[in-house]
Amino acid sequence: MAQSGLARNEQVSGWLFVMPALVLLGVFMIYPILWSLWMSFQVGRGMAFSFGGFANIVRLTQDPVFIRALTNTLTFLAIQVPIMLVLALLFANALNDSKLWGKGLFRTAIFLPCVTSLVAYSVVFRSMFAADGVINQFLLFTHIISDPIPWMADPFWSKVVIISAITWRWTGYNMIFYLAAMQNIDRSIYEAAKIDGVPAWARFWYITVPMLKPVILFTTVISTIGTLQLFDEPNLIPSTPGAPSDSTLTLSLYIYNLSFKFMPSFGYAATVSYVIVVMVGILTLIQFLAARERRT
Amino acid sequence: MTRLSTGWKRAAAVALASVSMFSVTAASAVEITVWCWDPNFNGATMKEAAERYAALHPDVTVNIVDFAKADLETKLQAQLASGTTDGLPDIVLIEDYGAQKYLQSFPGAFEPLNSAVDYSGFAPYKVELATVNGQTYSLPFDSGVTGYFYRSDLLGEAGFTAADLQDITWDKLIEIGKTVKEKTGGILLPIDPNDAGWLRIMMQSAGSWYFNADGSVHIADNPVLKASMETYQRLMAAGISKPVSGWTEYTGSFTSGDTLSTFTGVWMVGTIKANADQSGKWAIAPLPALDGVEGATNASNLGGSSWYVLSSSAEKAEAVDFLAEIWGKDVDFYQKILVNQGALGSLLAAREGDAYKASDDFFGGTPVWQNFSDWLGKIPAVNYGIFTNEADAAVAAQIPNITSGGNIDEIIAAIDAQVRQQVQ
Repeated sequence: MAQSGLARNEQVSGWLFVMPALVLLGVFMIYPILWSLWMSFQVGRGMAFSFGGFANIVRLTQDPVFIRALTNTLTFLAIQVPIMLVLALLFANALNDSKLWGKGLFRTAIFLPCVTSLVAYSVVFRSMFAADGVINQFLLFTHIISDPIPWMADPFWSKVVIISAITWRWTGYNMIFYLAAMQNIDRSIYEAAKIDGVPAWARFWYITVPMLKPVILFTTVISTIGTLQLFDEPNLIPSTPGAPSDSTLTLSLYIYNLSFKFMPSFGYAATVSYVIVVMVGILTLIQFLAARERRT
Repeated sequence: MTRLSTGWKRAAAVALASVSMFSVTAASAVEITVWCWDPNFNGATMKEAAERYAALHPDVTVNIVDFAKADLETKLQAQLASGTTDGLPDIVLIEDYGAQKYLQSFPGAFEPLNSAVDYSGFAPYKVELATVNGQTYSLPFDSGVTGYFYRSDLLGEAGFTAADLQDITWDKLIEIGKTVKEKTGGILLPIDPNDAGWLRIMMQSAGSWYFNADGSVHIADNPVLKASMETYQRLMAAGISKPVSGWTEYTGSFTSGDTLSTFTGVWMVGTIKANADQSGKWAIAPLPALDGVEGATNASNLGGSSWYVLSSSAEKAEAVDFLAEIWGKDVDFYQKILVNQGALGSLLAAREGDAYKASDDFFGGTPVWQNFSDWLGKIPAVNYGIFTNEADAAVAAQIPNITSGGNIDEIIAAIDAQVRQQVQ
């Protein structure tokens, strides 16, 4: 009896200890999430809401701007994430070589971009890719091109700039994960493979990559989420956010416009944000299923 | 225990600091906070007004906060939507295109000024655009009356004089641009392909807008919009313009002599005059008119803004009095901001002042302000409605199609579909 009283006492104090965190989590996380879900069924201008049922979901299907933003976001995702992860893997493999000179320096150099401020680097990219910026001047000087490329005035090139910018910033970040994981791979596996005469590319492809599978899955998931939420670069690098002609408009940017630039339509903005939630959920599930260990 | 007590001390110190911060605000004399967006233009005029008011009321100080215009608008909108009024200023500058959006989506957020200001003394179109249900909420500030600004020296080299630019049409301007390019190689206009400002100018010059007077969408069946787009398409096809990206590149283009002219609002005078070495090399002509459109004029408007008092403000009474006393009456003040900032106010009485009648050597000794005042009276009034941002975004998305010679009817249909989708 005394013991169960003690146990209950411990349970109570345990709950008391986690209570502050739970309350904060509830107020600042769970309540806003539920509220935004409720909002996504509201229609109306400004602060005058009314319940609209599925009106916002119907609006999604008929909204050409939403379709454009969705296409752009998926384009960024499909092109940028694979490029970045492959690059990160190659860099990590190169810098994992124990005989490489100055690898600390290279690692720092490649990791450094993701420590820089988003705004600072976006402004630098914006000036580099201006019509008379350094990139065009260099390409003209080396006679690679004969006319300046209208980087931020052309729907295609502006996407290229955004993709290069995100890739530049986040490759080093993913590389660090791969490097850390590579150092956990037992060196004796590579030695055994070498003795068996396995060439370098096969050691990379058949030993390193499979051993990194959990980390590759992790980086794919977080990069997917990051790209689906892409906001800062398309907001800051073009002359006006999403320019030219909505070619760099992402879903997050559209949510921002709907809430703060256009006639405020918070309900519809919440609906668009739930599109991102659903997409993140589905893509993450697909990635987990694809990477699942096959049990024999 | 020590750690705990330091923690408490720190918390107490923070609490104390915030309390003392509040008490400082409460204890000081009245401070009016103003948000605006251009330290060289509306910020500078506000500063001048504040100095004049402080001379009469030494206990009132005005704190002017500068933002980028887009940042100010989003900050204001987010703050109004949040329902908390702590961070809001006492007076805010709002561009005329957005006035109705704020007034209608946040009822009660702004203070009607009818009892303090005599609106019959202001340009009627400025008063109307800030009026909802018979209440007027703004102290009308600058006008965006448009003109055609050009380098008289460089156009002169190609043989064009001021007389050649009086009351012309856009097609005549295109011809002039081609001749100039042939003779001197100069490029006439900088065009920002992401900015729909040219369309707003052209539309309003013929008394039309994206919306009807009752606020309904007026795009697919709007002959003025179609004529404007066709004009723009001819302009782009003529090879007399240079693409620029963003405001800095745009203004840099014509102030550096890279391009020879631009058509824009009167508020650009300040930017142009900032290049003292170009004095006497500039001139101003009326805006070209649209060809073959009913109601086409040589006058239009781009931008322009007004001051609004927030209802939540603790210093509301002082803010209203400040606006009414200086901005609402002081003719002398308007002469000064006209000369120093090129700010063409909306107070009609100010037009009788000396500065408005003077000629300007920077623009070849012509009476520029008199001209702008004349054009101001000819601007066709339109209803900007509450969805100009949405319509602008829809147009901007189609500008590359217009430029590349796309079918105007199809482009207008796409814009119409998008705007109808967005105005709900």
